[in-house]
Amino acid sequence: MTAIIAADHLSKWYGQVIGLNDVSVNVPPGITGLLGPNGAGKSTFMKVITGQLMPSKGAITVLGQPIWGNPALYHSIGFCPEQDAFYERMTGLEWVTALVRLNGVDDAAAAAMAARAIEAVELTDASNKKIGAYSKGMRQRIKLAQALAHDPELLILDEPLAGMDPIARRRTIRLIKEWGRSGRSVVVSSHILHEIESMTANILLINQGRILAEGNVHQIRDLIDEHPHTVHIKADHTRTLAREFLAHDDVLSLRLEEGAVVVQTGRPDAFYARLTDLAASGEHGAIHEVTSPDDNLQAVFQYLVKS
Amino acid sequence: MSPDARAENQASDANRAAVETRQPRPSNPPLFASAVRIFDLSLGQMLWSRRSVFLGLLLGGPVVLSIVIRSLSTMSGLSINGAQPEGATIFGMMVWLLYIRFIVPILGVFYGTALIADEVEDKTITYLFTRPIPRSAVLLGKYLAYLVCTVLLVLPSVMIVFFLVVPTGGSSVAASFPSLLADFAMLMIGLASYGAVFALVGTRLKRPLVVGLVYAFGWEPAVLLFPGYLKRVTVMYYLQALVTHDMPQDSAVSMVLQLFREVPTIPVSLVSLAVIIGVTLWGAGRTVEQREYVLEQ
Repeated sequence: MTAIIAADHLSKWYGQVIGLNDVSVNVPPGITGLLGPNGAGKSTFMKVITGQLMPSKGAITVLGQPIWGNPALYHSIGFCPEQDAFYERMTGLEWVTALVRLNGVDDAAAAAMAARAIEAVELTDASNKKIGAYSKGMRQRIKLAQALAHDPELLILDEPLAGMDPIARRRTIRLIKEWGRSGRSVVVSSHILHEIESMTANILLINQGRILAEGNVHQIRDLIDEHPHTVHIKADHTRTLAREFLAHDDVLSLRLEEGAVVVQTGRPDAFYARLTDLAASGEHGAIHEVTSPDDNLQAVFQYLVKS
Repeated sequence: MSPDARAENQASDANRAAVETRQPRPSNPPLFASAVRIFDLSLGQMLWSRRSVFLGLLLGGPVVLSIVIRSLSTMSGLSINGAQPEGATIFGMMVWLLYIRFIVPILGVFYGTALIADEVEDKTITYLFTRPIPRSAVLLGKYLAYLVCTVLLVLPSVMIVFFLVVPTGGSSVAASFPSLLADFAMLMIGLASYGAVFALVGTRLKRPLVVGLVYAFGWEPAVLLFPGYLKRVTVMYYLQALVTHDMPQDSAVSMVLQLFREVPTIPVSLVSLAVIIGVTLWGAGRTVEQREYVLEQ
């Protein structure tokens, strides 16, 4: 099977700081999750495979070609970066259309492709609103739309679910899986195993600039489950939500913050499923944002590094 | 079927449609065509930026000054050393001293050094550098947007100053109009030259704004005062050859300065400025092509 991304003794350092350390890996076609705690080197790897950074040492090829200084390759790549950065005064449709035009398509085709991508991320109703007025979840989705609008062979998504509400999260996961099922490839990074696991079983574990493991997610799943998973939920009615959470025995601890409830759960799958249902029902008001720190993953990585 | 499930199905259909209607890849757009698309994307952002508002206010300065001149002229008659200067002469002095010597370099420094830096600071450069266009097209497109943006800022100010100042002292607006067109051309050449120079400064140096201000308001005026070849590496040296107005030479200082004044011919100036624009833009484009931009997390 031909690798869509091949790194050969790839290193990247910024002055004295090592971002990637002698990484050799072949990423197969399909959906691959890049999993690691914050600061592990995920974003550096993403930037190298999208040609934003040049390897300090070693080589990287994407779809069989070197990526640095090879703009033609971006016809086949769609990239959704991590940073929350936009042209705030443009509408979602204007912004995606303007970016698709840079792929060399004419104005009418660009507008049609942008509209289709926006429909795919379910933002059609808000497509004529200024991006500055979008919620965090909408901003994530419009960012995703610009990545997939030109129908690339390879989608590279850096923390695409960060800040999305549970429903948008579920829809985005489904979109990514459909993309993979259509014969195209996706590399998606996250610091949350649960997110990656819901998209693919094929993962790369990265920590301190090194690939620690690659392969099937289930092999590390048991390790992850030994550590509680923290979820930070911004919602309208945090107290009623907290009462609801406490009725379930997978919730190990809970604390209230301003406009948010922070939960530790022993079974993230069950918890996220319940959270999505709660958000869909609207029973306890709106749930605006769900994020997760990487405490549990960091603990697993420490274990892996030691073992 | 619940509304949520229906919405999900619609989204799936849309995604499937996107998957099924894969189109042949367009070829790489050439440099200039790519630059024009970057220009389209950037012009609105540039025009409505806080920088444009601030510099627009700065361009109101000459307008306020010309209102004062017009008012003084109307009320009591404007005189300098007992003589009443012609409006066209005052306008020429304002174009040279305020616009060419001050405002044009300021616009060049503030916009030119920020062409790429703004996108890096806002972290939006990623969207432009992960598209199938040469990185130098991003710089060129932004440079073109800078030119249009600054011309749109400067021209109304110059026009207003012209119509306020020229009629004072008995000058004819109609007779002075050709020199206004020449002034417009000179201002545009000045904006193009300074913008290109400071685009290079902005892509290569760490503190481009400080370096640019020192160059425009320290190095250039100082070097122009002295004889020698150094002045030939300034933009102002070539721009002064394009000034169509006669400057008053009635003070001791201006008489002394006149001794050292060495002005190239218009063709030499135009060719030199074209070379400056071409070389600095090429250098800036090459730097952008080769440089890594590490965005702060």
